[in-house]
Amino acid sequence: MTPIYKVSYVVRGEDHPGAILNMEHAPRVGEHVHIGEREFTVVEVQELIPPRDEFHFLHATVRAGSGPLR
Amino acid sequence: MGDLETVLKQAELFEGLSPEEFLALSSLCREKRYRANETITRQGAEGDSLFVVCEGFVEVSLSAIEPDTGPRAVVHLGRGQIFGEMALVDQGPRSATVRSITDDTVVQVIDHEAFTALCEKYHHLGYIVMRNMAADLSFKLRHRNLTGR
Repeated sequence: MTPIYKVSYVVRGEDHPGAILNMEHAPRVGEHVHIGEREFTVVEVQELIPPRDEFHFLHATVRAGSGPLR
Repeated sequence: MGDLETVLKQAELFEGLSPEEFLALSSLCREKRYRANETITRQGAEGDSLFVVCEGFVEVSLSAIEPDTGPRAVVHLGRGQIFGEMALVDQGPRSATVRSITDDTVVQVIDHEAFTALCEKYHHLGYIVMRNMAADLSFKLRHRNLTGR
């Protein structure tokens, strides 16, 4: 079975509602992700609830832009 | 079915179905495409369909409670996510407005009547899909708790 990562993205530092989407791989700190038409940088990743079958449930914090992590 | 099968198998709604059940449910799907900024459901309107996001993103927003403020976006939903499930479960009016925020947003639509008939005919399918919808609502609540919106 191919794992599927259902991720709750929360945007740090601005008034953004965040996003929920399925990914083919788990997000990694420093990686860039596209939510809608915008690009964000992953700051933190943690498991939100235990996996069920091939589904993994994660929470990731992101910030705007694609520059280096501070 | 090809690409549709691949996309739907990555949606939590279909997780745990047997191949026959998967085929029965996916045969109810019909595709709709949207350009950016098109309204898919409107808060307060009657609703009798469930939607699965296959490509692109949609924005879920609520009408303003306070005067002099605009609608409040509560979440963006991407590939594999469902919306419209509340009206499908409780048959009340749409609880939120949903609009596409990217060009080439593709959703699959499942109509309430055919969906309910399938669940009543195949109880295991009905149990699995309702469990998956409950899990999805729970995940959305957790997301909302994390965002504080």
